[in-house]
Amino acid sequence: MAKQLPYLGGMMSGRVRDIQRSADLLRLRAVRMVAPHGFGYLGQVLSSAELMASLFSRAFRPGVDELVVSPGHYIIVAYAAGPELGLLDEALLSTYGVDGSSLEAIGTESSPVADVTGGSLGQGLSSAAGLALAARLRGSEGRVFALLSDGELEEGQVWEAAMFAAHRGLDNLVVLLDANDSQVDGPVSSITTVEPIAAKWESFGWTAIDVDGHDVAALVEALDEALAAQRPAIVIARTSTSHGLSCLPEGADGHFIKISGALIDDALAELAARVD
Amino acid sequence: MINQAPYPTVLKPYGRALVELARRREDVVCLSGDLTRQTEVDLFQEEFPDRFIHAAMAEANMISVAGALARRGFIPFVHTFGVFATRRPFDQIVNCVAYPNLPVRIVGFMPGVSSPGGPSHQAIDDVALMRVLPNMTVLDLADATEVAQAVEAIVDVAGPVYLRLKRGETPVIFDDSHRLSLDRAHVVLEGDDVAIFACGMMLPAALSAAQVLAGAGVSASVVNVAVIKPLDRASVVAVATRARAVVSAENHSIIGGLGSALAEVLAEEALARPLRRVGLADTFAQGAQNASWLFTTYGLATQDVVDASWEALGRDLPAPTAPTLTSPAGEYAPV
Repeated sequence: MAKQLPYLGGMMSGRVRDIQRSADLLRLRAVRMVAPHGFGYLGQVLSSAELMASLFSRAFRPGVDELVVSPGHYIIVAYAAGPELGLLDEALLSTYGVDGSSLEAIGTESSPVADVTGGSLGQGLSSAAGLALAARLRGSEGRVFALLSDGELEEGQVWEAAMFAAHRGLDNLVVLLDANDSQVDGPVSSITTVEPIAAKWESFGWTAIDVDGHDVAALVEALDEALAAQRPAIVIARTSTSHGLSCLPEGADGHFIKISGALIDDALAELAARVD
Repeated sequence: MINQAPYPTVLKPYGRALVELARRREDVVCLSGDLTRQTEVDLFQEEFPDRFIHAAMAEANMISVAGALARRGFIPFVHTFGVFATRRPFDQIVNCVAYPNLPVRIVGFMPGVSSPGGPSHQAIDDVALMRVLPNMTVLDLADATEVAQAVEAIVDVAGPVYLRLKRGETPVIFDDSHRLSLDRAHVVLEGDDVAIFACGMMLPAALSAAQVLAGAGVSASVVNVAVIKPLDRASVVAVATRARAVVSAENHSIIGGLGSALAEVLAEEALARPLRRVGLADTFAQGAQNASWLFTTYGLATQDVVDASWEALGRDLPAPTAPTLTSPAGEYAPV
């Protein structure tokens, strides 16, 4: 079970300020994990930090609830929260992505924290729906949270799963959508039109809550509403892949941020100042 | 004991066996991709509506959901036609089932050219697609006795299973004393000249071919390879060693299925025997009115097994002629 530590221990306090500091702790750890490689999935943590800190602090119950990280490269944000969740040793974080490490950069069966293999985009919501159905069949109180990305909405399977979950009334299923408008080839909005996201999900029979994904108070309220909904629910978090790290150069590639030299020192200093 | 062609047939041996199993096993759940009656699980739906999951025409979602159910202790049996069970959700099978090594049972009906529905409905590559995946067990069955036993046999296999089944009337080739083994291929006939390895719907043709060859003084072994993966290498080697030529017969492409699996073993064991593969010769088939016409047109008839054996043995042409068996209503004869 979760150790009660200062920041992610906000599950107990629920204080917005603690959750915000937890989000910056996730960012700080992500910079440390990515720095030795010189590049990596840092933008995904910068965008989803408040969303995931809110989840882990306010809603997620390790050992009871389940977490699916559908875009497998987002596993870094789950690793970053792993120590407080009691799911991995903090020392292990330094092995992120290195040869032979269990902390592979794209989540696999050996990944602590997440419950299924992600990475082949569009599959995670189906897995989450299956876990939610299994909980229902077993009469379990567990809830299933699925982290998805907006680019992933391009995959048809997401909508198969959306129909399936709504048809079966899986109200123990909550999607956290990191809508950071970023995918490999550029902004999602420049590649295809996934909007209107909330209206799509509502028309599929879901409760959809569209919020500023860096506003912790709004996220906490949205999570509460999603959990109270009598049907599957999605929290659409509008985010940026450069949020919370002002030292990043203008125009950094949010999908795969390069970070080296003095920039690492600046990033660590900026985040440490906010966390401490 | 084995029956003689034309074989008596039965309906829904799989569907009945799954219901029998589910009566004893509460962990068994059943998913259907909008082909419930066609895959015989209307019987399951009637008796266990709470454990029956309509997954709709959405195979990708169906496989991923099944993987998640298996993670939480259920044994999901997933049903649709072989084409839709393997081609559409291949990536989902990889990531949600095979790589996590979960006990999902993927049941694909209507193999190869048993469907007159054309390339969209003809699973000519499903065995290849499933055989290439680590952790996957692959069965190809066409006898009702084995079908009924297979459900029980695979339920506790630790990893995923692909079960390939004939749709509709299923021939009864073996009597009740027959026992399906997941470990040993079944040597149905023993002979010294040619070793014919057959699976699924090609077993009747292989048995008929052996009779024709016997009439021409050629002695054939016939091995029923119900489990294509993991292949019973020891039996392959033992039977092939005593023969002078080897023939495979499968209702599938000759690439990637039983014939390929045999070739791998023969080569790795340095067992130099001429090999001929009867099956779809790297071609798509076509739509038609009758499956039997497709079996003849695409080289999956008894005569094709005879010809392949004859040629592999280096005999002078022509090969003996296979009689045309008529199949009375409700019975099944090889083409």
